[in-house]
Amino acid sequence: MSTTQLIQTYPRASVSVSSDRSAPGVIEVAHLRKAYGATVAVDDVSFTVRHGEIFGILGRNGAGKTTTVECITGLRTADRGEIRVLGLDPRRDRRELHGRVGVQLQESAVPELMRVGEAVELYASFYREPADGRELIAMLGLERAQHTYFKHLSGGQKQRLSVVLALIGDPEIAVLDELTTGLDPEARRDTWRLIEGIRARGVTIVLVTHFMEEAERLCDRVALIDHGRVVALDRPSALAVAATTSKRVRLTPTEPFPDELLSRLPMVSSVEHHGPEVVVAGSGDLVTAVVLALHRAGVNADDVQTETANLEDAFLAITDETTHADTNGATR
Amino acid sequence: MSTAALSLTPRQRRAFGLLVASEIKIAVRRPVGLVVAVGIPLALLVIFGSIPATTRPSDKLGGISFFDLYVPTLMVFVLIAIGLMTLPQQLSAYRRQGVLRRMSTTPVHPSWVLTAQTTVCLIMAAVGLTILLGAGAGAYGLALPRDAGGYLVALVALVLTAAATLGLGLLVAAVAGSPQIAQALTAVVFYPLAFFSGLYVPLQEIHSQVIADIAKALPTGAGFNALHAAFGGHSPGAEPLLVLAAWAVGSWVLATRLFRWE
Repeated sequence: MSTTQLIQTYPRASVSVSSDRSAPGVIEVAHLRKAYGATVAVDDVSFTVRHGEIFGILGRNGAGKTTTVECITGLRTADRGEIRVLGLDPRRDRRELHGRVGVQLQESAVPELMRVGEAVELYASFYREPADGRELIAMLGLERAQHTYFKHLSGGQKQRLSVVLALIGDPEIAVLDELTTGLDPEARRDTWRLIEGIRARGVTIVLVTHFMEEAERLCDRVALIDHGRVVALDRPSALAVAATTSKRVRLTPTEPFPDELLSRLPMVSSVEHHGPEVVVAGSGDLVTAVVLALHRAGVNADDVQTETANLEDAFLAITDETTHADTNGATR
Repeated sequence: MSTAALSLTPRQRRAFGLLVASEIKIAVRRPVGLVVAVGIPLALLVIFGSIPATTRPSDKLGGISFFDLYVPTLMVFVLIAIGLMTLPQQLSAYRRQGVLRRMSTTPVHPSWVLTAQTTVCLIMAAVGLTILLGAGAGAYGLALPRDAGGYLVALVALVLTAAATLGLGLLVAAVAGSPQIAQALTAVVFYPLAFFSGLYVPLQEIHSQVIADIAKALPTGAGFNALHAAFGGHSPGAEPLLVLAAWAVGSWVLATRLFRWE
């Protein structure tokens, strides 16, 4: 029940986006579809990115995030659907688009034996009005690595170089794909500060990630993608609030009890055991109902904790729902 | 590609220049390609040039020395080493590492990398051939073409052989999904082609019409024939040059059709 409510946040969000006609989006995607042979990578994706926001594309690995981004940036041709980026057709107007949109992709690199400074100078020469390469190198803390070969950079340095290269064309939009994957927590936090700094320069940012915390911390709005579809689109806090309807209670019972005792309660959706601990998921006034039911059965509960939902819960709740829907669809 | 090169803006020309410069730096930093393309032929030249027997005219070889016969082979070797070993290795590594993918998100098309690589290969070939011929003529009395016509034919033959071998290299890079496959394909193509340039044994010593006929149809054999004639003061006739041109055009057309940027 709770997850059904969550799903309903999607149409609401999409209506609010499309009704915002006064400020057209810098990126508009409508019913994008892309398949590789029999594998459908992106089934039906629609969203609008507004000027100056940090827009998150969130999903598990293989959900269709990267393919979506590759279609937006003109690297792949969509099978169906409409895409407009800064009013341009990403495929037809590729060259102009690439002059105005900076892209950092996974599995991309500069030659192993190219030095950091050389790569920045070379890439700057590709653009009409490039940004100041030295300033970007300083901003990303790569001054001391300027003369280092690409292959000798650490994972974090490689990521930071790819941010420099994504920004070297002084873009209006920066598309950053899994920017912090493989970084240690401290480097990740540094990168977040950096992204906020980039936005402060007036750059619209599309951030592809599978880290909930990252999306929650940085993004103004988030599109959750699962199985090639947008399953929710809203502010991260709004998605998390919607998920509070599906909260969890953790407790340690003083003695064993049959699951039915709790699972028959209308507000309980699942009962799980983790060692001595029992985790009850559901909605409404869950704590009171659970503790009361246990008390009536003569079971006392120690250490009762309720968990506040965050974006991760929202994500799990929403994607679980779509997974169930898929399974039902398959057996039908 | 050539029409695109003519319509470049000054900014694009600067970008292309930087790209070529960085590819040259990379080639010098990992000089395996240079060693194979310049070092090996130079070593062979020194070895055979230093043996008195090989520099003496031989009746068996129609009155010329083994050395004079072998230098055109070494010239062809420089070109196939660069075209078939250096170029496809580098391009397939770039594709595997994501260098082409990275570039495809900029206003510059990844075909620029390919063009820059080809340019660097031509520069390497020019340097390698100059060293080879300079050393051959300076130290071992190599007979150079006798007149301007001979030089012109030699130049045309070299350019066409370079175009054909680079085209074959691009074709290998186009169909090879990984650097490993590129390496295997290169080996399959390289050794037979090297044989028909006379690298292992001068084909004139084999006295087989079949071998000679096959050689005529292959870029290395045709390249050898044209260069041998030009350096010996004869006219190669149109046939080897036409064969080379056909290989050059065919391989480039096929390679550009089949090439995948990812």
